[in-house]
Amino acid sequence: MSEKVTFWYGCNVLRHGDIIHACLDILRAVGYEASPVGGPDYCCGTVRDANQMTAGGMATRTVGKLNDRGARVVAWCPSCHSHMHDFMEKGNDRQFDMTYMVELLYENRQTPLLKHKVPMKVMLHKHIGFNELVPVNRMMPELLGMIPGIEVVDGGYTAPGYMCASFAALPKALEDIHASTMRAAKACGAEAVVTTFHQCYREIVGLDAARAIDVYNYIHLIARSMGLPYEDEYKAWKRAGDGATQMIGAERIAKVGVEFYERAVLPELKKRPNLR
Amino acid sequence: MSERPVIGQRLKEYQVREVERILGACTQCGKCYEVCPMAQYSKAPSKDSKATVGGVLAVLRGEKGTPEALGWIGVCTRSGVCVPACPENVDPKMMMRLARMTALGGRGQPKQIEVKEDRDYFDRVRAFAKLQLTDEELKDWT
Repeated sequence: MSEKVTFWYGCNVLRHGDIIHACLDILRAVGYEASPVGGPDYCCGTVRDANQMTAGGMATRTVGKLNDRGARVVAWCPSCHSHMHDFMEKGNDRQFDMTYMVELLYENRQTPLLKHKVPMKVMLHKHIGFNELVPVNRMMPELLGMIPGIEVVDGGYTAPGYMCASFAALPKALEDIHASTMRAAKACGAEAVVTTFHQCYREIVGLDAARAIDVYNYIHLIARSMGLPYEDEYKAWKRAGDGATQMIGAERIAKVGVEFYERAVLPELKKRPNLR
Repeated sequence: MSERPVIGQRLKEYQVREVERILGACTQCGKCYEVCPMAQYSKAPSKDSKATVGGVLAVLRGEKGTPEALGWIGVCTRSGVCVPACPENVDPKMMMRLARMTALGGRGQPKQIEVKEDRDYFDRVRAFAKLQLTDEELKDWT
C-alpha cells in the first residue's frame, strides 16, 4: 500500500503550475499518495519578518492545518522547509514528520523511472545556504546524472544566499549572480543551467528569455525522462514578453482582472536580467 | 474557564530566549562578518568587523544600530557561512535573522531599516495560480 503524504508546495511555486503537476505525477510514480496543499492560506510566515505577530499567527494556522492532515509532509519550498525548522516548530506542536522533496527523490533514486534520454550538458545552479539543512548541492548532481543522456558539469560557482528571490531588493548582487552563472556555464561548456529551487528558476529563467542560455528546473528534466507530459507556460510567457498577453488569452486574464494583470503580472514576465 | 492562549506567544517567547542566548554567548570576535559573502553589498561596508557585530547586538538589545550594522543586516540572505566560522557556536545566521526582524520593527521595537514592501505579493501569487490551475485544483489545493 502506498504511503499517504501531504505535498506542501508553498506559495510562490504557484507561478509554475507545471512544476506542481509534475511533482504530483513523480510522487505517485515513486509510490506515494500525495495530497497537495499550499498558497497564501498555507503560508509559513517567512515573508512577514516585519510583523512577527502576523508571522506567528500564520505559523500557528499552517502547523495546525498540517497536523490535522495526519500524514508525513513533503516540502517543496526551501523557505518553508527552513522556516519550519528555525521558527514554526519552536512556537507550535508539530505532529508530523517532514522531509524535503529532493531528499525524498534521493531516497528513492533506485526506482527505475528515468527511461527517456534527455541529451544535454547541464550545470547546476547552486547556493551556499540551505545546503546545511538538506545537502542539495551533493544530491542534485547525482540525481541529474541518473537521467539518461545528461552530463552534469560544474563551473565552480556557488552563489551566496540560499536562493535567488531573496536578492530582489539587492539588484547589484543579483546582477553579479547572473553574470557569474553565465561565466561559469561558459567555462564548463554547459548547454543549460538547472535550478533546484523555483525561486531561482523564476530569476534565472530570465537568462533563457534573453536567449543567453537554456534554463530548467530539475523537475522539468526528471519529468521529461519519465515521459510525463508538462508544459512550462511560465517560461513560454517569459520568452514572449509582451506577447504573453496573447498566449495567455483574454479568458484567463479576465480571471485575474485586466488592470491587475497589466500592473502586477505582465511587468514580471517582461523583466530581463541586466547582462554585463 | 481556561485562558485562551495568545496566538504566536510561544514563538515570541522562543525569540526572546534566543536573543538572550545570543547576547550571552557572542564575544564580538567579528569572524561572522569577516566570512560573510554579502558584506560587500552593504550600504555601509565596514573594516571593523568587531564593531559591526557589536552594532548588531545593540539592535538585538532594542538599541539603535550603527549604519554599518544596519547595512549588514539589510543584505543578509542566509548564506550561513557564518555558522561554522563562529568559535562560540552562537549561530550567527539566527542572530542576523532576529536582528533583521527587530530592525524591521517586527518584534515591537522602532523600525530602523526600510524594506520595499510588495503590496501585490500574495495577490500576484493568487493571480498566477488562477492562470495555471483549474477551478477544482484551486478549491482543493489552496
